[in-house]
Amino acid sequence: MGDQEIHRVLMVSDFFYPNFGGVENHIYYLSQCLLKLGHKVVVMTHAYGNRSGVRYMTGGLKVYYVPWRPFFLQNTLPTFYGTLSIVRTILIRERISLVHGHQAFSTLCHEALMHARTMGYKVVFTDHSLYGFADVGSIHMNKVLQFTLADVSQAICVSHTSKENTVLRSGLPPEKVFVIPNAVDTAMFKPASERLNGNEIVIVVISRLVYRKGADLLVEVIPEVCRLYPNVRFIVGGDGPKRVRLEEMREKHSLQDRVEMLGAVPHARVRSVLISGHIFLNSSLTEAFCIAILEAASCGLLTVSTRVGGVPEVLPDDMIVLAEPDPSDMVQAIRKAISILPNIDPQVMHFRVSAFP
Amino acid sequence: MSVALADKSEMSGGIVMDTCIRENPSMTRPKWRKVAYGGMQPGFDDNHIDDSFLEDMVTNANVVRRDMLKVMRDTVSISQYLCIVALVVLVWTYTLGATLNENSLLLLDVSLLGLGFLVLLLTEERLSLNRLLYYFLNISFFTTGLYALSPIYQTLTRSISSDSIWAVTVSLLILHLFLHDYSGSTIRAFGDPKNPTLISCISLNASVVASVFTASRLPSRLHVFAILLFSLQVFLFAPLVTYCIKKYSFQLHLWFSFGLMAVTLALVYMLHVLLFVVLLGLLVSVNLVCPYWLIRIQEYKFEINGPWDEAKLCFDITE
Repeated sequence: MGDQEIHRVLMVSDFFYPNFGGVENHIYYLSQCLLKLGHKVVVMTHAYGNRSGVRYMTGGLKVYYVPWRPFFLQNTLPTFYGTLSIVRTILIRERISLVHGHQAFSTLCHEALMHARTMGYKVVFTDHSLYGFADVGSIHMNKVLQFTLADVSQAICVSHTSKENTVLRSGLPPEKVFVIPNAVDTAMFKPASERLNGNEIVIVVISRLVYRKGADLLVEVIPEVCRLYPNVRFIVGGDGPKRVRLEEMREKHSLQDRVEMLGAVPHARVRSVLISGHIFLNSSLTEAFCIAILEAASCGLLTVSTRVGGVPEVLPDDMIVLAEPDPSDMVQAIRKAISILPNIDPQVMHFRVSAFP
Repeated sequence: MSVALADKSEMSGGIVMDTCIRENPSMTRPKWRKVAYGGMQPGFDDNHIDDSFLEDMVTNANVVRRDMLKVMRDTVSISQYLCIVALVVLVWTYTLGATLNENSLLLLDVSLLGLGFLVLLLTEERLSLNRLLYYFLNISFFTTGLYALSPIYQTLTRSISSDSIWAVTVSLLILHLFLHDYSGSTIRAFGDPKNPTLISCISLNASVVASVFTASRLPSRLHVFAILLFSLQVFLFAPLVTYCIKKYSFQLHLWFSFGLMAVTLALVYMLHVLLFVVLLGLLVSVNLVCPYWLIRIQEYKFEINGPWDEAKLCFDITE
């Protein structure tokens, strides 16, 4: 970056703090990095409950919580021109030079991009998820995406699989799509200072317990692994609709002392949960770019994951063991992981991950 | 730190295909790899499009290629049912116009019942005397109940104007035809494993309500009973009977359908020429135009599958 031009960036998305998730974290950390480089960043999102108006966050990050009511899964109600006045006000008042929209599912993002392009601003769009083509919801969203992205300056995807998916869905020329993977804060995710004792193996699972994240696969895999390996323990963090099924599985196979359910884990405590384990298990059924795997690798855990979406691209082959989303295949992968576990050094793994530019 | 540097050079040099660099000294940059770690790959931009772009995409993997003749044969079931409904409406029109009196209607009912049972006997191998008795008992209960309740139906819509009744009846019949399950039988026949869906239940209810509305416009109790028995017989049991015929022999099914179509067209012609033209047009479009259209637009089908698809669980989730 030779030129020292200072940009004034507006990040737009429905998903931001106090909501927790991959997109929210991405926007926050990206904003912090841009602020450190000297640019100015403003975030626009919808109001969360009482949190409405203008707030300032760390580093002088100005956040506009626009008082629009969310109507479905934290999305604002889509009105084509309703947001025009507020977007125009923010763009002119903050003297924005670049608008950056996040997440195809966010209606606020689409509208803001459309209004910004109408006014001639440069626009960048980042897509964080993979979507299908066949069901009614996906068809409608892809049509909206085609309209919104018809005129975007550049687009960013988080993995090569995500780039293929976005190009097919939106009809963008592939040259306009840049693949910039998500990053993890390796200073925050350091491995434990002492190695854990070797006589028992702890497998950590942290994810939202929903269908999409493969909670049903977990229900099949955990009893089988506990049966085959008496020295293996599980720690399951996270909450969701499928938690009941996991509890039932635990009762049915009497695994109360071998499977620990932690409930929802706040983001600040994720590291402490991760460093208490040797292996990280990810069973999601679809994933554009699994940041959880990267966090686990940064903490020095060996990863076992399902081969879906962009997951094979995230880590080198010696840091991850991939399996098909089938319980028997996953049990085989865990067996392989347990066998190569003695060769893994968490500090080396952490250094390698922090060396990824 | 030295460990990190050593690891980094090992990653970028070692895992890459060494043969590329050693054998072609003119090629300075290593092969592009589809990975997200390791930062920018040297010599390639972030928006580099490799030859392997979209190579894992599979198009039209699960698409069934349809054959014109088979589609036309399958639409015969639809036109057969259309004719059955047309015949029912015909009987309603004649009864409401007092052309058909209640005795002939009762005779029609009994003969239809007898015919239906005969068809079931002839075409179903698994029919036992026990089963037959069970059906007979059910039919008698049904008939008795209908006879007992017919006074209620006679005065049901007395306060509503005829126009509203005809409008509602017609719309309900159209709804019934639209939502009807043409592939199989709504009534579970002989332990048929297919459960009736919500849509087919809605269509059945629409037809029953339409018959009740029509019956409520008739002068006497016996009329009401006869017409209700006739309509409900047809709407409830005709799918079962036609399903049995189709299962028994497809040739018989085709002959039956064509015969039914001819009879219906002749009877409707005698009633009103315009209705005859409408029915003929409908049958032609269902049997000839729609299959042709379906085959024509098949070539535009573009189903996309690839590594981005959500994985399907191969086991059933038992709650």
